[in-house]
Amino acid sequence: MTTATTASPRRNTVSPPMRRRRSKTAKWSALFLSPAMIVIGVFTVIPMLMTIWISLNKWSMFTSITDMTFVGLDNYTRLLGDASRMQAIANTGVYVGLSVLITIPLALLIALLLYFPKLKGKGVVRTLLFATYVIPTIAIVIIWGNIYSPGYGPLSAMVSAIGLTPPGWLSDPQWALLSLVIFNVWQMLGYYVILLIAGLTQINEELYEAARIDGAGLVRQTWSITIPLLRPSLVFVILMTFVNSIQVFDPIYLLTQGGPANSTNVVGFEIQRSAFQYGMAGESSALAVSLFLMIVAIGGVLGIIMKGRKR
Amino acid sequence: MKKSVLAATGLGIVAAMTLSGCAGPAESGSGSGAQEITFLTHWGPDQVAMLEAAGDAFTAEHPDIKLTVQSVPFGNLLSTLRTQGTSANGPTIVGAYDAWLPELVRDGLAARAPGDVADDVTANWPSGVVTAASNGGDLYGVPNEIDLYALNYNTALFDAAGISEAPADWDALVDDAAKLTTGDQQGIGFITGWNSGVVHPFLSLLASNGGTFLNEEGTASNLTSDEAIETAELYETLVKAGSTDTSKSTANANTTGPYLDNFVNDKTGMLIMANWWESSLKDAMSDRFSEIATAPIPVGPSGTESSSISYSWMTIVNSKADDAKQDAAWQFLSYLNGPDSGENGSSAMGDILISMGIMPTRSSDIEAHADTLETPFLSTYVDALDAATPFPTVLGGPAATDALQVQLEALLNGQVDAKTAMENAARDVDAALAAAQQ
Repeated sequence: MTTATTASPRRNTVSPPMRRRRSKTAKWSALFLSPAMIVIGVFTVIPMLMTIWISLNKWSMFTSITDMTFVGLDNYTRLLGDASRMQAIANTGVYVGLSVLITIPLALLIALLLYFPKLKGKGVVRTLLFATYVIPTIAIVIIWGNIYSPGYGPLSAMVSAIGLTPPGWLSDPQWALLSLVIFNVWQMLGYYVILLIAGLTQINEELYEAARIDGAGLVRQTWSITIPLLRPSLVFVILMTFVNSIQVFDPIYLLTQGGPANSTNVVGFEIQRSAFQYGMAGESSALAVSLFLMIVAIGGVLGIIMKGRKR
Repeated sequence: MKKSVLAATGLGIVAAMTLSGCAGPAESGSGSGAQEITFLTHWGPDQVAMLEAAGDAFTAEHPDIKLTVQSVPFGNLLSTLRTQGTSANGPTIVGAYDAWLPELVRDGLAARAPGDVADDVTANWPSGVVTAASNGGDLYGVPNEIDLYALNYNTALFDAAGISEAPADWDALVDDAAKLTTGDQQGIGFITGWNSGVVHPFLSLLASNGGTFLNEEGTASNLTSDEAIETAELYETLVKAGSTDTSKSTANANTTGPYLDNFVNDKTGMLIMANWWESSLKDAMSDRFSEIATAPIPVGPSGTESSSISYSWMTIVNSKADDAKQDAAWQFLSYLNGPDSGENGSSAMGDILISMGIMPTRSSDIEAHADTLETPFLSTYVDALDAATPFPTVLGGPAATDALQVQLEALLNGQVDAKTAMENAARDVDAALAAAQQ
């Protein structure tokens, strides 16, 4: 890493030819980076700034931009007073929390099992697990719509077979969100397992050998070697689970439309509904900005926790 | 220096390419030459084929106008209309629900009908549906279908339960629902997961109990009225008696799903549904369709006569399309809805609608299909037309519908009592209307 900045006390130690070379490198860097920067600017930064601006206006999005009426923070205060949208935010929190809490331990457990050297057929299992991630969501949603069907769904049949009364998976407000979490875990688990297995391969086998010589058992090895050294992969998987689940939209749109009784309404779905069903781009943008702030805040907290633990 | 120029040129090229990409493709079919118009609908393959055939017949007479049909599930129709309709290259003609019209007009997505089309519609359609296709006194679409809700029941299950006739009032409805509830069979089904399907049956019962959804101005709800609370209490009674089961009543994106499956598989004794699903019932039940009968909405304790919620559909033209395309679209709509495009004096539109069990609205279509409209299934709906309560078409209507749906679903799932459900619904509906109308 270079320290040759204008504030550096060592700047005089850099020779003129070196400075010229760095200046040339900077120009080429700017040239090569500029296409990406322009694309990011046009398609990411400007829309984000526009979204923030629209959230301060009343506008339907389908009329001219000159028809915007500035309303300040009205869209945000209306959100706070709207029980339905506040429930969407709460539902999103529950969905994210359950997804992370179920997915991470399960993915870690499966990854550890599949990394076990003596296990036969683990290649097939890995492929099958990853297949759920590769299949298009629309296809999986249709399949799971049938799996959850109360009349002919296999899940209800299995529950009935063991003498229990199956719940209304998608029709009961107490079960619908959990049913969608189960779907999400099933769909994404293989992807996270593969990421964790990749992390496991980076751990030096000699550490295990040394631990075994010192008399450490399998649990001790896992707890004292595997988990600490797997932390970069675990942090990445936690962040991916968090981001993936906070943006959930497809299964809600295709399976429940936010119902029953608003129990599966999440922020992503409500953003779409406000903008495209009701023509309220201002309120929709306020929700989008709120979601963004939630992601930044929770992502920041996660980052701080992980950094703190690293120290 | 040369490298700086090179870098600046590179940046300029990238910027120009990016900005030109943002400008979008050049419009096709614009100007006064050959026109390609698109018709966005939610109809199924059979009706799309009939519409395409009408398009081909029209093109034979007007070689400079070609029609393409685009079909999406009902659940995606409004969002597709809103996202694609804002472009000049979006669908030129769209089938639209009358409740959506105020917002489509506000957002400039619906073109005002030209004078000759408005004159034709005014002369050949009943005034009620002309009003539903109008906003602020101007006509915005050619009306095509009208739908109402009625009690649908399974006569085989009625016979098995020893019930001789359909319930005419709420006491009989509750009694019959209890008799029909046995084992894996629910007495009456109330659909969930689809806003109109949830709200319209409730509002039909409310109308049959002498109540209304909104005040006369359409600016606030009437859901804390005695009539509305009584209607909610009817739901509560049926839920507590176990006569209705939400797990058998969810809809999918095509507004059927388990709700239809359970009815056609004899697991639901009664439900309240619109006439348009006759074709779905026929497809699913085949010969057993004859077991399904229809009856007027049962009358509530505060009501005097049965009244069904009615709503209509129309075909609108995208106001973002250029003038030549709009003109071609109105020409096609005049043909499609005219008495010469279909069979035996019906319009092609009338034939398409009747193939789904949907009532057409053009007076000559009603005459041409009089025999079909007198079938046992449809005649109940036709008879209910006079006393029907039109669903209010006001700004904020879709959001208000969703707000009521949430509370009805909570009520059906036993999460709230009747009074609380109506108070919550009134609060949320009022907020939705205020947000849209301010």
